[in-house]
Amino acid sequence: MAAVRRHKRVAAAQPGFLPIKSSLDGNSSVIKRRKRVNKNKKKSWNRFSDIQDVEEFLDDVRLQERATGGLIAEKTDDTLFFVDTGETEEKDTQARKCKHSKPLRIDLILQPDSHIQAPKNVLAFQQPNAKKQRRISERAAKLAAMGVLPRREKLLQLRSAAAASGLSVKEHPVANNNPDRAFYDLWSAGKTADPYYLEQTKKKLVKRPDRLNEKPSVLPAVEVIAPGGSYNPDFFSHQDLLREAHEVELKKQKAEEKLARQLAVNEDKATEESTFKEQVEGLIEEEEIEPQEPEGDTEDTVMGPTATQEKKTEKQRKKEKAQRIKVKKSLYNIINKNTKVGEVVTCCSLIGIESVLFFRRFQTPDLDVQLSDELASSLRSLKPEGSILKDRFKSLQKRNIIEPRERARFNRKYKLKYSEKRAFREIE
Amino acid sequence: MGGLQKKKYESGSATNYISRNKARKKLSLSLADFRRLCILKGIYPHEPKHKKKVNKGSTAPRTFYLLKDIRFLLHEPIVGKFREYKIFVRKLRKAYGKAEWSGVQRMKENKPAYKLDHIIKERYPTFIDAVRDVDDALSMCFLFSTFARTGKCHVQTIQLCRRLGVEWMNYIITSRSLRKVFLSIKGIYYQAEVLGQTITWIIPYQFAHDHPTDVDYRVMATFTELYTTLLGFVNFRLYQTLNLVYPPKLDGQGEFSLKSECEEDYALESESYSEKLAALSASLARTVPSVEDEEAELDHFPAEGVKKKKKNLEQNKQKKLFEGLKFFLNREVPRESLAFVIRCFGGEVSWDKSLCIGSTYDETDETITHHIVDRPTIDKQYINRYYIQPQWVYDCVNGKILLPVEEYFLGVTLPPHLSPFVEESEGDYVPPEKLKLLALQKGEKPPEEDEEEEEEEEDDEDDEEEDDQSEDEDEAEDEASLAEMEEKRAQGKSLSVKVTPGKVKPENRMRTEQEEKAEEKRLAIMMMKKREKYLYDKIMFGKKRHVREANKLAAKRKAHDDANKPDKKKKKKKC
Repeated sequence: MAAVRRHKRVAAAQPGFLPIKSSLDGNSSVIKRRKRVNKNKKKSWNRFSDIQDVEEFLDDVRLQERATGGLIAEKTDDTLFFVDTGETEEKDTQARKCKHSKPLRIDLILQPDSHIQAPKNVLAFQQPNAKKQRRISERAAKLAAMGVLPRREKLLQLRSAAAASGLSVKEHPVANNNPDRAFYDLWSAGKTADPYYLEQTKKKLVKRPDRLNEKPSVLPAVEVIAPGGSYNPDFFSHQDLLREAHEVELKKQKAEEKLARQLAVNEDKATEESTFKEQVEGLIEEEEIEPQEPEGDTEDTVMGPTATQEKKTEKQRKKEKAQRIKVKKSLYNIINKNTKVGEVVTCCSLIGIESVLFFRRFQTPDLDVQLSDELASSLRSLKPEGSILKDRFKSLQKRNIIEPRERARFNRKYKLKYSEKRAFREIE
Repeated sequence: MGGLQKKKYESGSATNYISRNKARKKLSLSLADFRRLCILKGIYPHEPKHKKKVNKGSTAPRTFYLLKDIRFLLHEPIVGKFREYKIFVRKLRKAYGKAEWSGVQRMKENKPAYKLDHIIKERYPTFIDAVRDVDDALSMCFLFSTFARTGKCHVQTIQLCRRLGVEWMNYIITSRSLRKVFLSIKGIYYQAEVLGQTITWIIPYQFAHDHPTDVDYRVMATFTELYTTLLGFVNFRLYQTLNLVYPPKLDGQGEFSLKSECEEDYALESESYSEKLAALSASLARTVPSVEDEEAELDHFPAEGVKKKKKNLEQNKQKKLFEGLKFFLNREVPRESLAFVIRCFGGEVSWDKSLCIGSTYDETDETITHHIVDRPTIDKQYINRYYIQPQWVYDCVNGKILLPVEEYFLGVTLPPHLSPFVEESEGDYVPPEKLKLLALQKGEKPPEEDEEEEEEEEDDEDDEEEDDQSEDEDEAEDEASLAEMEEKRAQGKSLSVKVTPGKVKPENRMRTEQEEKAEEKRLAIMMMKKREKYLYDKIMFGKKRHVREANKLAAKRKAHDDANKPDKKKKKKKC
């Protein structure tokens, strides 16, 4: 850039240009004395020395290196010129074609032959933590030189040494659900140590009480579904199963209706207003004087109902409260009756204890039934009903092995408030 | 003075029970750990008779455990392991937080683990106890092996369950202990007889299931942990009883025939062996090169009764139900279930090569006797094999005989698949299909009945007419013979009936005994007092209700069939 700047100034001094400070008077004989410049200082190097010719030369060299593959002066004659002898070579071309296919001349011409390499992408060569990695590798080398091995190598050496000498390495306990775990004969009457020895060394396990060996329920572990549950059922057994499911649904519906009935607020009851209206209905038409009276009456009647309404509302409130308590009690009863599982009851009666009740009563699982139009015509088109996971879970609950509990829910006392941040509100 | 008075809730049932939270604190475990411990050890909550007493006067809903049970739990060694694990988790979290990666690695390698072997030994002191409780374990293992391997529950558990399920199926095939199969809408029920115990389990269909949300997965996972351990030990012992190698190895010959195919197409090398086992098409290797099974079965026990012998013979006959038959499964049938059932009864089975590893012969094999298809039609039909629907296999197994194949051809409406788990008592309604099956089993002229039925279905009115005619004929014959005899008598001619020396009728002892008993019963009924008779009538009325209902259902079925006869006729005519 300095050269360019210089260029500007010195351009005027080039032949063909008007001099800078040429006096238009015609006093060209008086050449103004130039100010002497000290070229020894760095400040004046760039400004007052002319390196244009050097620059030109260098530019030319660079151009040659870039474009023509090196200085042309250094190239051999063969590469630049060829002697045109006027003969054409056509011998042995076909034989050569098969074995050594020469590259095309145009391809050779088009090959890049500049001495300037293409610029490299710095980002591709950058490693963000090159320093850190270098430090780690140096540290590791230093430690290895001192004789300290990393943990893995140490363990490996130990293991190989143990394997070579025949000793067994201390085995970590294999996880329970390892798919390759080994089993052995658990019930073999193998050699057991002296029971007194075991007791004294505290290796003997406490005896399991016999009470725990009894099954908690007489129900079988896997209950086979009724014959109506076959994928291609017999007509009557299917009808039986449908009937059972129908009865269950009926019961549920009845319970719901009962609840609705008990919770319903009877709005059809006659209030004083409605009875008065009914009484007055026919009368208004006959007598026309009466509309005036009703105005006064209405005022009075307005007063009346409000006064009696207040009284009534208190009574009504008490009544409603009493009704609510009654409903609550009956609700509890309804839930009891609904979820009384016939099978649990029979099983308990068989054992001879009271029916087992838990807080969350056992909810009978729905019967797995396919309606007549859902029945599959072939095994291929069968759509399975119900989930065996749920079935197993309910079976475990039914047999009193786990208690029927619901997942604890997180209920908020106060509702969460959401507000937009100021920045987002301004976006629109 | 105050010290001598008895205070409330200090003795009796209030001190015998302990609430769940108190029990948990006594053991110093978290709730999840406590639940897991109770499931593993088999401790169940108990409902006290007088809840208010136990709850010290309040009616708050609490679950109670027996105090003695919780005291027993305190001696359990794995309680210590649970606590160790809790501490391990805490240390690991600290190391992560401090970014001590070497420490993290070291701790992960030394993760505490516990074994359940002693618990299994304690809960099932003998092998037979374990076998009795194995059907719950089986259902759970098969259920878990069908789960998707997404990582919701440990993938290792799913793999272990699959391995154990395959081992069990291979054992059943080798011991030929399968007795009943039932295809329901929920899944497939199997019943087998192992070492004298009847074991029932259910396998879900191999379709995608959406998982219900109200099931506690942690609880189920704990159960599976216990059951996989139990099933593993039971499998080992069962394989020992049959002199089979455990872990199971395929028999030498079977291996060669399977290796001939390119194994890489089906599974990774590490998994290809377990996949071949799971294909259930090859037999297992034995530790002791055994003699043929039949020799062992011919052991006669002289002390056995006639009934037992008969039963044994029947069972042996049933075990060889499909022997000599060669099956080929088409692509759309449930391959694993059918392969299992067919091989359990001695049949050979194969499928298309591209379907699964382990197919022994091709579709083009000439010696195939049955080809199981579930489509309405099939393109290529080979002559010397039957094309049947899969229900035939299951119905044959349940009926213990080879049923006639005609009812199970492609495109034919199948007879209903009856449940083999239903035992009909005396007065119950028995569906006609079952009656037919029983008849077939006894061998009481089944083909003639079929023919007769076909003839009936062909022509309605003609049949009826024929029936009427035949009846009339019979009657006419009887009448004619009677008339003849009367004429002869009237005419004074001697009847063709002559006096011949009497034949001694061999007295049927059984029959006379029964008759005597019936007479005694009748006398006793006559001698009863009025009150007793009244009660007796009531009871008999209740008993006969069953029979009456069965008759009603039978009548209904007949009416239904009669109504459907014209429909059937139309269908037949169309076909």
